Amino acid sequence: MTSLEELRKINARCIHCRACQYAYSNEPDREGADEEYTGMMLSCPGGNFYGWEGYFNSGRMWMARAFLEGDLKPSQEMLEVVEACTTCGLCAEQCTNYIDTVDIIEELRAAIIESGVEPLKRHKMIGDRVLEEDKRNPYNDPRSDRTAWHDGSVDDKNMKVAYYVGCTGAYRQQDVAKHTASILKKLGVDFTVLTEEVCCGSPILRTGQKDIFKIVMKENLEMFENYDLLVFSCAGCYRTFKVDYPRQSGKPLPFKVAHTLDIVYDLITEGKLKIEKPYNKKVTWHDPCHTIRHIGLAIEKAILEKSDNWLLDSRKAAKAKEAWYERPREVIRAIPGMDFREMYRIKGNSFCCGAGGGVKTQFPEVANDTARERVKEAAATGAEVLLTSCPFCITNFTDAVNALKKEEEETGKDLSAVGSKLEIVELLQLLDELLD
Amino acid sequence: MVEYNKVTDEVVKKLVAICGEKYVTDSEPLRYSYMARGIMGLEAVLPEVVIRPANTEEIRKILMVANDNLSPVTPAAGGLSGGFALPAIEPGGILMDLTRMNKMEVDTENRVMIVEPGVRCGDAWRIFKKKWPEWAPPIPDGAPPGATILGDAIERGFSLVTGRYGPQADMIMGLEIVLPSGELFRTGSWALDGAKAFYRWGVGPNPDGLFLGSQGSMGIITKAAVKIVPHPHFKTIVAYGGDSWEHIIEPAWEIGKYEMGISDNTVMVQGGNWPLVMTRWPKSNVPLDYKFYEKIGIDEYWMNSEVWAHSQEELDFTLKRIDEIYKDYEVKKKTVCKQQQLHPKQIASRLKKPNLIAVPYGLYEAGFLFITWYCPWLESSKMMEEYCAAMENYGFPPTMWVASIDHARQAIVMPILCFDSSEPGIYDKIREFNIETTKSFLKQGWINYRPDPFVHAPLTFSKSKEYYRMLVKFRKVLDPNLILHPGRLAIPWASVTDSPSPLEGE
Ligand SMILES: Cc1cc2nc3c(=O)[nH]c(=O)nc-3n(C[C@H](O)[C@H](O)[C@H](O)COP(=O)(O)OP(=O)(O)OC[C@H]3O[C@@H](n4cnc5c(N)ncnc54)[C@H](O)[C@@H]3O)c2cc1C
Ligand code: SF4
Ligand code: SF4
Repeated sequence: MTSLEELRKINARCIHCRACQYAYSNEPDREGADEEYTGMMLSCPGGNFYGWEGYFNSGRMWMARAFLEGDLKPSQEMLEVVEACTTCGLCAEQCTNYIDTVDIIEELRAAIIESGVEPLKRHKMIGDRVLEEDKRNPYNDPRSDRTAWHDGSVDDKNMKVAYYVGCTGAYRQQDVAKHTASILKKLGVDFTVLTEEVCCGSPILRTGQKDIFKIVMKENLEMFENYDLLVFSCAGCYRTFKVDYPRQSGKPLPFKVAHTLDIVYDLITEGKLKIEKPYNKKVTWHDPCHTIRHIGLAIEKAILEKSDNWLLDSRKAAKAKEAWYERPREVIRAIPGMDFREMYRIKGNSFCCGAGGGVKTQFPEVANDTARERVKEAAATGAEVLLTSCPFCITNFTDAVNALKKEEEETGKDLSAVGSKLEIVELLQLLDELLD
Repeated sequence: MVEYNKVTDEVVKKLVAICGEKYVTDSEPLRYSYMARGIMGLEAVLPEVVIRPANTEEIRKILMVANDNLSPVTPAAGGLSGGFALPAIEPGGILMDLTRMNKMEVDTENRVMIVEPGVRCGDAWRIFKKKWPEWAPPIPDGAPPGATILGDAIERGFSLVTGRYGPQADMIMGLEIVLPSGELFRTGSWALDGAKAFYRWGVGPNPDGLFLGSQGSMGIITKAAVKIVPHPHFKTIVAYGGDSWEHIIEPAWEIGKYEMGISDNTVMVQGGNWPLVMTRWPKSNVPLDYKFYEKIGIDEYWMNSEVWAHSQEELDFTLKRIDEIYKDYEVKKKTVCKQQQLHPKQIASRLKKPNLIAVPYGLYEAGFLFITWYCPWLESSKMMEEYCAAMENYGFPPTMWVASIDHARQAIVMPILCFDSSEPGIYDKIREFNIETTKSFLKQGWINYRPDPFVHAPLTFSKSKEYYRMLVKFRKVLDPNLILHPGRLAIPWASVTDSPSPLEGE
């Protein structure tokens, strides 16, 4: 198990340079279409919304330091500030002191709660539901319905591959789960799903409820330990298994993990899969923080952890990270007929959808504001479709576009320039439709 | 010590009435989020309330409330001067976060920009790039993008063209200032109703120097008119190595002394030693021996010249002349100043403005401090030799950076103290180190540029007593209740501490 205390020395690297408030903080000359999308841009969802230093990572790092030094006492007020962050990791990407900002923020949340402060109301509610025997998911839905969406193999212990569906796939976006199952089938991957599956703990860990997280992590690790490979469709679950389980349990995973897109990527790049059906639309792509930036940063970190000469190896590590950021683009480019247009903020500098880290649950206004900014950026590319691959991004963008549509109806204004006509599409769904 | 009052709920209510609830906070965690001690100032006190005013009128009203209540006020623009933009005395009083005031106007005919305190360098650079690509805002050379144009100018900082134009304060054409009494005035030609900020010395004697380098202790600047500079697009960096500080400092002076022509093209001249490369990485994950750095082509000492020109021909001519000057110097001093072969990526990275080049010193041991001194250019090699020896003596790596100001007239010498912030007694050690070096440097007539209030300031003022007395007089005229952040200059001393005054013994 990690702790804030263990990160003390890493936190102490912060010099309050405030670079982490910007996307492209180290690319002042980056070319863009206009004055708004050029050079560096203030891009912290929490900080942009509230404006106070404490909502930007640069301020959070100094709150963490004051807390560690015993100057700042834990309180509900402090937790409110620390929780208003999507844990998007844009700040970590910017920090040339390699500070694991998201880890520090999450551990700070946990430390505040461990010191006796109640989790925020809505966060506590999802934590409680995840523990309830007849639920084990944050949505308050019956546990017995977990695999109701699925008509294939269930609880087959003889399979080598299990699909970890996650609560959103199981209860809210069953179509994504179905499309994933269908893709796997088309790709010849035999898999099973488990009725006993419990929440991966992502929203629980992000919101600092570590005790509950430990419970679900243990259960999932034991439940799936005899499978060779776990496949995912949810960006959050994937990140949690791949990055958090080994770190929080202190042990390597007993199975391999792959996002379904990884499998598609491998087959495409190995020349074993070709998408023939065209998709004749103007499309832009949003990088989900969990599967793109978080994993990229973890790859970079793993290389540096092994290195005794960062001066030489930092470039190699950055290259490996960049290669990871390129992967979804290679899948997209393999789709014929598509007019693919990148947004201004992409890859490590991608602007968050606004839903992560427990923000959509507890601070809906931050989530809405952020999603509106992102769909505006998507619309600025002239795209008709905003493609992504994460249930939270899909929900939050859809909510933003619907709000714009409503506003159009109410005011009679044409808001297409800021995204009201955007179609939000899950890449897994699109791939399923295009694959034979 | 001066007696101040605490910020009461009553005062907070008045502040809310001025700025609106959304922009005033006494939340403890939010107040702590500003408490970035280090980088340049280690001492700081928690503010009692933080406020984010929108305009000059709000600042005027805030100051009047503070003045009535005898609450100290500290302005912060980008807040990147570390502990300098934080309250230094108890009670912490009101911290004014000026980031909301971010309007910028550019007048290319008059070659001036008018900035509010919150205009950050990263944003100014972006807007210039699209709207006025032939002009550049004078942003600090190595400060991160969140630093502001105004903050750097009033700090008399080191900009991307300081080697050519002098310290950043020399770029000022006019200031708009609010005093604690609520009085507002402008300096330079700007003082005349309706006039542009086209002439710094204005309608009479110019008091603007009192507000530059005084860190908000004389008045709050709400607008500054700052010169913009041409931004020619033929640019490069050339670097020459040397075997001692002297051998990189002297040839740069040979170039600088021409003052016109090629020396004007050489907008920035800055150098350092090999630990400047090493300490940008974690101590546990980087070679600590020079041999490695030598092998990868890093000289023990080197000087970069950044050259801007309007044509390739002009650029080539400048580079040729620089090279000739180095060659002549090698012959004259029987030494070798090898030109470094810079990779295009290295050149691009050094040309990048604003940049994060100075940020990773936090990596070495998770603690660092910039200490900055000014001295005549040719004396800087002696200062750096002495400094490096003292740093090693105290167990710090001798990381040293130097840059030319105004055609190698002055040097800005900056040791970067990399230290383990968790080491017991480290802050006492730094203080001892500061006292020892400061005593020696002051004797040699060198001046500290961002003083520590408890080391550099008293030691300096004890050797410039008449000047100090004058500063105190001015301050008392401008701010009779001494509510403005007394700055790291600690004027007057009694507003900062009960310890003996620098004038002691008079
Ligand atoms: C990594 C790093 C690299 C740096 N490199 C450089 C460099 O290359 N060149 C350079 O010059 N500096 C450099 N600096 C120092 C610092 O960034 C600059 O001095 C910076 O531009 C200060 O601007 P700011 O907006 O951050 O000012 P702040 O820190 O906000 O303020 C500076 C001082 O002015 C006072 N002040 C702020 N606003 C007002 C106002 N409106 N009226 C009156 N007083 C006010 C503050 O109280 C403070 O004392 C660097 C700093 C860091 C952290
Ligand atoms: S976290 Fe890194 S980028 Fe952010 S303020 Fe601290 S040092 Fe700078
Ligand atoms: S993780 Fe994202 S929302 Fe949180 S502080 Fe960093 S940039 Fe801001």
